Amino acid sequence: MHILRSLLLSLLVAIAAALPARAADDAELTRLVDALGAGGFDDTSAQIAALAATGEPRVAAVLELLAGGDLYVKKDGGAVVAATRDGKGYRITDPLSGADLGTVDRSAVTKIKINNKLRGEIKSALGSLTLASTDPAARMTAAETMFKAADPESIATLDAAIAGEKDPAVTEKFAEARAAAVLASDAGEADKLAAIAILKERGDRDALALLRAAAAGEGAVAEAAATAAAHVAQVLSFWEAGQNVWYGLSLGSVLLLAAIGLAITFGVMGVINMAHGEMVMLGAYTTFVVQEAIRTSAPWLFDYSLFIALPLAFLVSGIVGMAIERGVLRFLYGRPLETLLATWGLSLIIQQAVRTVFGPTNREVGNPSWMSGAFDLGHLAITWNRLWIIIFALAVFAGLLAVMRRTAFGLQMRAVTQNRRMAGSMGIRTPWVDAFTFALGSGIAGIAGVALSQIDNVSPNLGQGYIIDSFMVVVFGGVGNLWGTLVGAMTLGVLNKFVEPYAGAVLGKILVLVLIILFIQKRPRGLFALKGRAVEA
Amino acid sequence: MITRLLIERLDARAIIVVAVLLIVAAAVPALNLMLPADHPLHVPTYMVALFGKYLSFALLALSVDLVWGFAGILTLGHGAFFALGGYVMGMYLMRQIGARGVYANPTLPDFMVFLNWKELPWYWYGFDSFAFAAPMILLVPGLLALAFGWFAFRSRVTGVYLSIITQAMTFALMLAFFRNDMGFGGNNGLTDFKDILGFDIQVDTTRAALFAATAAMLAFWFLVATFLVNSKFGKVLVGVRDAESRTRFLGYRVENYKLFVWTLSAMMAGVAGALYVPQVGIINPGEFAPANSIETVIWVAVGGRGTLVGALIGAIAVNFGKTWFTGALPEFWLFALGGLFVVVTLFLPKGIVGTLGDLFRRRKRPVDDALEPQPAE
Amino acid sequence: MTAKTISSRLAAALLAGSVFSGAFAASALAEDTIKVGILHSLSGTMAISETTLKDAMLMLIEEQNKKGGVLGKQLEAVVVDPASDWPLFAEKARELISKDKVSAVFGCWTSVSRKSVLPVFEELNSILFYPVQYEGEESSRNVFYTGAAPNQQAVPAVDYLMAEGVERWVLAGTDYVYPRTTNKILETYLKQKGVAEADIMINYTPFGHSDWQSIVADIKKFGSAGKKTAVVSTINGDANVPFYKELANQGIKAEDIPVVAFSVGEEELAGIDTAPLVGHLAAWNYFMSGDSEANATFIDQWHAFIKDDKRVTNDPMEAHYIGFNMWVKAVEKAGTTDADAVIDALVGVSVPNLSGGYSAMMPNHHITKPVLIGEVQADGQFETVWETPGLVVGDEWSDYLEGSKDLISDWRAPLSCGNFNVATGKCGGAAK
Repeated sequence: MHILRSLLLSLLVAIAAALPARAADDAELTRLVDALGAGGFDDTSAQIAALAATGEPRVAAVLELLAGGDLYVKKDGGAVVAATRDGKGYRITDPLSGADLGTVDRSAVTKIKINNKLRGEIKSALGSLTLASTDPAARMTAAETMFKAADPESIATLDAAIAGEKDPAVTEKFAEARAAAVLASDAGEADKLAAIAILKERGDRDALALLRAAAAGEGAVAEAAATAAAHVAQVLSFWEAGQNVWYGLSLGSVLLLAAIGLAITFGVMGVINMAHGEMVMLGAYTTFVVQEAIRTSAPWLFDYSLFIALPLAFLVSGIVGMAIERGVLRFLYGRPLETLLATWGLSLIIQQAVRTVFGPTNREVGNPSWMSGAFDLGHLAITWNRLWIIIFALAVFAGLLAVMRRTAFGLQMRAVTQNRRMAGSMGIRTPWVDAFTFALGSGIAGIAGVALSQIDNVSPNLGQGYIIDSFMVVVFGGVGNLWGTLVGAMTLGVLNKFVEPYAGAVLGKILVLVLIILFIQKRPRGLFALKGRAVEA
Repeated sequence: MITRLLIERLDARAIIVVAVLLIVAAAVPALNLMLPADHPLHVPTYMVALFGKYLSFALLALSVDLVWGFAGILTLGHGAFFALGGYVMGMYLMRQIGARGVYANPTLPDFMVFLNWKELPWYWYGFDSFAFAAPMILLVPGLLALAFGWFAFRSRVTGVYLSIITQAMTFALMLAFFRNDMGFGGNNGLTDFKDILGFDIQVDTTRAALFAATAAMLAFWFLVATFLVNSKFGKVLVGVRDAESRTRFLGYRVENYKLFVWTLSAMMAGVAGALYVPQVGIINPGEFAPANSIETVIWVAVGGRGTLVGALIGAIAVNFGKTWFTGALPEFWLFALGGLFVVVTLFLPKGIVGTLGDLFRRRKRPVDDALEPQPAE
Repeated sequence: MTAKTISSRLAAALLAGSVFSGAFAASALAEDTIKVGILHSLSGTMAISETTLKDAMLMLIEEQNKKGGVLGKQLEAVVVDPASDWPLFAEKARELISKDKVSAVFGCWTSVSRKSVLPVFEELNSILFYPVQYEGEESSRNVFYTGAAPNQQAVPAVDYLMAEGVERWVLAGTDYVYPRTTNKILETYLKQKGVAEADIMINYTPFGHSDWQSIVADIKKFGSAGKKTAVVSTINGDANVPFYKELANQGIKAEDIPVVAFSVGEEELAGIDTAPLVGHLAAWNYFMSGDSEANATFIDQWHAFIKDDKRVTNDPMEAHYIGFNMWVKAVEKAGTTDADAVIDALVGVSVPNLSGGYSAMMPNHHITKPVLIGEVQADGQFETVWETPGLVVGDEWSDYLEGSKDLISDWRAPLSCGNFNVATGKCGGAAK
């Protein structure tokens, strides 16, 4: 945020130097800025308009400060200053020149309050002020703001901007903004028809809204707008189906992450592991602890916090898992139902322990910058965090598959779970294989927790929210089959997202559960049933 | 004739249990009603309600033990039948409020009035009469269990698959009952009851009577369960539990045996729910939560799976512990409860009753492990 | 089995036995203190919100004891854990009143927990202070509602947004009674204000809903129809974090589609990175950022008590602060802790609130409060952008619901009724 703002500021200063002086004299400007300090929101609104009307580039910097909540009024004299926290007090600067005015006590200044409406007004004021920015991205943003505003009075400004624009991408945006403004104006039919064509080309929801509004009237323009709107709506409905698939895959990847550790501890080892959710939770809390440590001692590492958290979460959950296996579960092999009882007890203990140590409230786990925001793929809005989580889930799956198929440990693990006694007589140390298998499953649950901390609450209840879904996925896919877990998770995810728009979130979930019950009747051993002698054991 | 049959089928243990239950059914209300409040043996009213709750849970645990301990069906969804029975009772109690609700609407329950419902939904008809509601307590959970079991057992869904779909069933029902559109009061459920069978639900005598009824009902179902497991039918069930395929190859229709005991057990759970609701004063979708069903299984395991009396002891002991811990160690009671479960699995694998039984038997004669269930290889 | 294990098992059995017999013998001592019950979940799903309130109550009691207690006696807190289990709330309430003989209980968070204990408090005639905003439609002689009724939160928030030019409304909530009722009230209210049916979208989600992709996309779609759109969120605690995270990621800014929430306070925001959420709104009766003297003292006390400078304060804590002080004042006025006397003394009691004014207990057992609208700031606090000019009286029976528009509540002597029907002139069923 701050880097961006200072970047913008320096840019604006550069523009100010480059442009020929538009000669709003300094005294007048200072008067206008100081006026911001008085009155309520309505007054501020008028003052912003007055500032913007000067067309003075330096105003942009002041408005940025105002939008960021960094403008304050000095109680003594009423001068408006920019202020940043500095220990107990504030460091204040002149908002126009940036000149340092020293530090003052907290009580010496009051913040100029703004609200959403003002923030919007500032944004559109900045739009017209930054149309001439040297940064194409800033011009794009400005064009987008003006598109949203669709103000007929901006046509002339936009025409000038289009004439001076070299970058074709920005020109297109300007043209779209102009088209929006034209549709809202009382321009002639030819102009409006051209504008409709441009909007149809743009083809997104905002364009659709404008076209629908234009289709309300009578005559050729309205007809053209209606046809264009119908076309856009149809294209968008295709994209919407694509969006649902994407959401489904993304939900599926979350389910996969939550369930994949369980596919080992429950699916492969046969432990009805009710503490699985708590392993996920421990992973999430590890992320929290890592981020806390980074925040206090090495803030520049923040973007890499997840990479540091991943191995640690694997270790923490893995070690706890191994302790559980060595301490409790190893006495219970061959009695799977008792494992339910013991792990349920353990899950209560782990939950309460976390509650005692970290407190019962949610803990803040931040998103690194590369996991924030979204980008557009055609008309699909794809959020970065979901994309990374899908990639991550598949990577974890592939890694686990490789361990199971390609390593000696994987071979021993499969041998022990298929026939413990024979594996033992072949010289495999079955107790240690058990311990490491359980640790592996728990560790994977831990790294799933790192990913889930990015999209969900980090609270002692985190694991409880996923345990039932995880069991459903594993059972639906077929116990003991990793591919089943993958396909099961993705199927349930996509199914859920296709049912949800019609039935609503609650009924959708119920329907999916009923479908699972019915499906199990049809295939009593899940999607990918194990075959052979192992089945009856 | 019948008495002879009963005596043949019942062991000494069962007779003791029934006798104790009947004594409790009479004694607790008597100690509550007849002794003055400052008498050392006086049982305060809140304890009557509390014990009533324990006994309803004991009946639920008994129903779980019947299917899990004797037919090998690990149900993680028995709470659903319990809650359905509870809702049936709740609907009856709701209709008894009549015009005494806060909106003074003679037919509609309060939650329907403030959500602007105009008419009573059809499935609420009839619940104003106990004669209609009482059979429903058995029928609603029974029919659901019948339908569910008919499909599941015929398709030979077994083991964890069955456990997980029972869990899916109760989870789906919980979500459904949370929906306000269902017409069961959503998350708030049904509460603020006034009368049962014309008696004020808040007076001590009604509470005492409800307690006595619960204890008697528990004794009755305990007899039924004991009778069942000691009969030839019960022996076949144990066969199904220990070696389902072998039993099938011997020519038994395994699915029919399972279906019968499953449905019967669901009805028991329904009765337990119906007795539970007037004593705690509320029924809401939280009772469907999978965690509750899992906990019920744990009561049985703590008490001793496959010993009917163990289910009762487990349910009462764990719930008593919960009451005590939540009051005495509010911050740490989960450690105690969780620790209890771990300790019981590790050191008392057959539960309280099974372990005591071992001790007892060991003194009388040497190892008799042949009676212990062994899973089929 | 070896002798050793037998003996250890016997020891375990003996221990279990002694637990049985000893459990109910512990109390019944010491009558020189006044007991106050605290009935908040310390485990289970609601622990996340309620534990803080337990700590706040312990702090208030400690502070009062420093001032010499009440009626010359020290106060003693009795804490129990109803574990987010609604029937257990009723059981624990009964235990607090019957066994521990508490003079008043401060507790509950969810509506269902209040509904669950309500018959117990009426039967045993005790006093409950309920500190959370709720759906209204209730007034009991034994309950004092110190949280906001819908007219003290939801309706003013909608008024504010309308003044800001919002024309299209998304009412999004968790599917339970509070959001259902609030949305019913708001729907009626909006329609009365001339909002068309097509401009209102209502959406319900299950508890703890964590996958908000489709719903946020729907909101985005609904909001791109050319009219200014706002989301009125009655989404319950736990589901909020993923909801806000999804909003931020899908790029819904407060300037485009503001979200006004009734269940999101400082405590909930503490779990989220608020930088992308600046400008989203919440309606409460108290914000930690308020600059009154009393608030500064309260925050300092809280930080000292909880030994953590980062902990925030929130609206339900203020409600307990008000409720507790009202109770103290009423007990001193009545000169006894007897429930009937205190219930009568409570009506009309007025104590300072934390936003710089006074709150009074009204005859309907609801209190007067200012309504504040705040915008989320980057530091996780709210900045007040609007407040009602005066205090608003809690309205228990909403005027916008068919069933309750004719009902009023007045627990003072001649009427003494929680649901008096002004149309028929009769007191409904709940009167005692």
